[in-house]
Amino acid sequence: MSLHERHRNIIDFALSSLGRRWKKNLALTVVYAFVVFTLASVVFFTEAVKSEARAVLRGAPEIVVQRLMAGRHDLIPESHIDVLRKITGTRQVQGRLWGYYFEPSTGANYTVVASGEPPLEPGTIAIGQGVARTLNAGEGDLIPLKGSKGDYASFEVVRVFSHESELVSSDLIEMHADDLRAFFGVPEDYFTDITLKVRNEKELVVVADKIRRLLPDTRPILRDEILRTYDSLFDWRSGLLLVIFAGAVAAFVIFAWDKATSLSMEERREMGVLKAVGWETSEVIAMKSWEGIIISLAAFFGGTVLAYVHVFFSSAFIFEPVLKGWAVLYPRFQLVPQIDPYQVLALFFLTVVPYTVATVIPTWSAATVDPDSIMRL
Amino acid sequence: MVELKNITKVFNRNRPDEFTALEDVSLLVEERKVTVFKGPSGSGKTTLLSIVGAMAKPTSGRVLVGAREITSLPERFLTEVRRRTFGFIFQQFHLIRGISALENVMLPAYTTGEKHAALRERALRLLELFGLSAKARARVEWLSGGEAQRVTIARALVNDPKVIIADEPTAHLDTKLSKDFLGIMERLNAEAKTILIASHDPLVYESTMVDHIIEMRDGRIRGSGPAE
Repeated sequence: MSLHERHRNIIDFALSSLGRRWKKNLALTVVYAFVVFTLASVVFFTEAVKSEARAVLRGAPEIVVQRLMAGRHDLIPESHIDVLRKITGTRQVQGRLWGYYFEPSTGANYTVVASGEPPLEPGTIAIGQGVARTLNAGEGDLIPLKGSKGDYASFEVVRVFSHESELVSSDLIEMHADDLRAFFGVPEDYFTDITLKVRNEKELVVVADKIRRLLPDTRPILRDEILRTYDSLFDWRSGLLLVIFAGAVAAFVIFAWDKATSLSMEERREMGVLKAVGWETSEVIAMKSWEGIIISLAAFFGGTVLAYVHVFFSSAFIFEPVLKGWAVLYPRFQLVPQIDPYQVLALFFLTVVPYTVATVIPTWSAATVDPDSIMRL
Repeated sequence: MVELKNITKVFNRNRPDEFTALEDVSLLVEERKVTVFKGPSGSGKTTLLSIVGAMAKPTSGRVLVGAREITSLPERFLTEVRRRTFGFIFQQFHLIRGISALENVMLPAYTTGEKHAALRERALRLLELFGLSAKARARVEWLSGGEAQRVTIARALVNDPKVIIADEPTAHLDTKLSKDFLGIMERLNAEAKTILIASHDPLVYESTMVDHIIEMRDGRIRGSGPAE
C-alpha cells in the first residue's frame, strides 16, 4: 500500500478517462499544441536571430563614423582618417567603401563592398548565396552590372560565400576597391564611411564625443546602438506577429476555458460514482487534475518540439516574411539550435499552468458533491 | 455493528423547499444478518441507507460503526470508514461507461494504494465468482442487465467490506434475475457479510434469507421485527 501505487492507479484511470472522450480531448490537444507552437516559434526565432546578429556584430568595429550632408549620409574625405587617428585611445582607423546596387530585372537590392585582405583581383567579384540565386550565377560566370555612368561592366564570379555566413552575406557583392570606385564613381580621396576601434571599451562614449567635437560634420555610430536597433527591430516584429496570432490565442482560450470548465453531466455523474464507491474529494480532484496535466503537457511538448523543428530545421518557413522582412533576398540560413530555459519556463507557465488551474476549479466544485447524491439519480 | 441514535435528516434546511427525510430514527443493525428496509417511495429508505453507509451525515443524532462514532468525523476519515466497511449496490448500477467490467470492479480500490497487479487479480477472481470471466474486458454498456448488476456486486465486494448495502436492487430485474441476485446475497451472508437491502419488492422482503424487516413510512420507522 503506497502513495506511489495510489497515484499510479489514479493516473491509470485518468488516462483511461481521457481515452473514453478521445475525440474531444484530441481536438483540444491539437488546438492547444498549435497555440504553443506559434508562441514558441516566435520566441525561438526572435531570440535565435537576435543572438546570431549579436554574434556577428561582436566582430564589428566599435565605432563607425559617417559624414552628414544636409542631414543625409554623404561620402567622407580621407583627411578625416588622420584627424581620427590623433584621438587618444583609438586604433585601426580605416576607410570603408560600400554602396547599394539595385538590379531592376530581379527587383533586388544588393550590398556592394570593397574586398578586405587579401583583396580580390580587379574584374572579379565574390557574391552571397542570395545574389547567386537571384542572378542564377555561380563561380566562373560573368555578371554584367550597370555602373553609375550607365555603362555595363562585366565581373567574373570567383567565389560564392558559404551557406553558414548567409545571414550576413546573402545580398553581398564583394569587389576590388578600385573597381568599386569606378563602378559607383567614388572619388579617389573619399570613402563611404570610416571605422575605428577603441583600446578601452569604457572610453567609447568619450571618444564618440571627441569625434563629434573635432568633426562636427560627422556622426559616430556605436556598435551597441546597432545592437539595440536590431533588438528593438526584432522585438517589434515578433510583437507584430504575436498581435496577428492574438486572435488565435483568444479563440483557444475561449475554447479551452469552455472545455475545461464545463463538465458534462456524464462527467459529473462519474465523479458522484467515484465518491460513492470510496474516493475522497481530493482524489477525484487529483484524477481530474492529472487529465488536465496530461493534456497540457502533451500539447506543450508537442507544440514546443514542432516549433523547434520549424525554426531550426525548416527556417521558420511559416512566418519568415514577417520576421525577416519583405526583401526579395531572403537569407536561407539554418539558425543555430539554442533554447533559453527561462523562455521555455515562461512559456510553460503561460500555457500549462492556466489550463491546469482552469480544469481544477470546476472539478473542485463538482467533486465536493455529497457522495449520496448518486443514490438519488 | 452499526447503530443509529435519534437520527434526523433535513434537506434544504431553512429554505422554502425544506424537507425532513428522516425523523428521530434509532436503529441497531445486527452483524451477519440480512435486514430489509421496506416501505413506499419517499419513506426515507435510501436516506437511511446512505447515513448507515457513511455516505451522508445526519442533521442531528449519532451514528456508530462498531464502537466508533463517525458522525463528527472529517470527510477523509469518513471516506476511509465507507471504503473499508461498506460495499454499495445501486438501483441504477452506476457503472462507468466506456471502460471494461474489470476496471469498474477495480475502481473502489484504486485509491487504497494496493499494487495494480494484485488488485487486478482479485477483481478477476470476483468476476469469475459471478460467472463473468468472459466479460471481464467487455465494456459495461455491452452487458445485459443481469451481467451489469453482477459487475456492480463484484465492485461492492472488491474492498472486502463487512456490510453490503443494496438500494432497490431488483427494481430493474425480472423474476429470474431477482432470484439470482437474492441467491448471491444469501451466499455472501453465509460468508459472514452483513446485508442491508432497501426494497418494496415482495420477492425480496418475503425471501427466506431475510432475518429482519424494518418498515418505514414518512421518514419514521413504523414497525420492526424478524422476518416471518
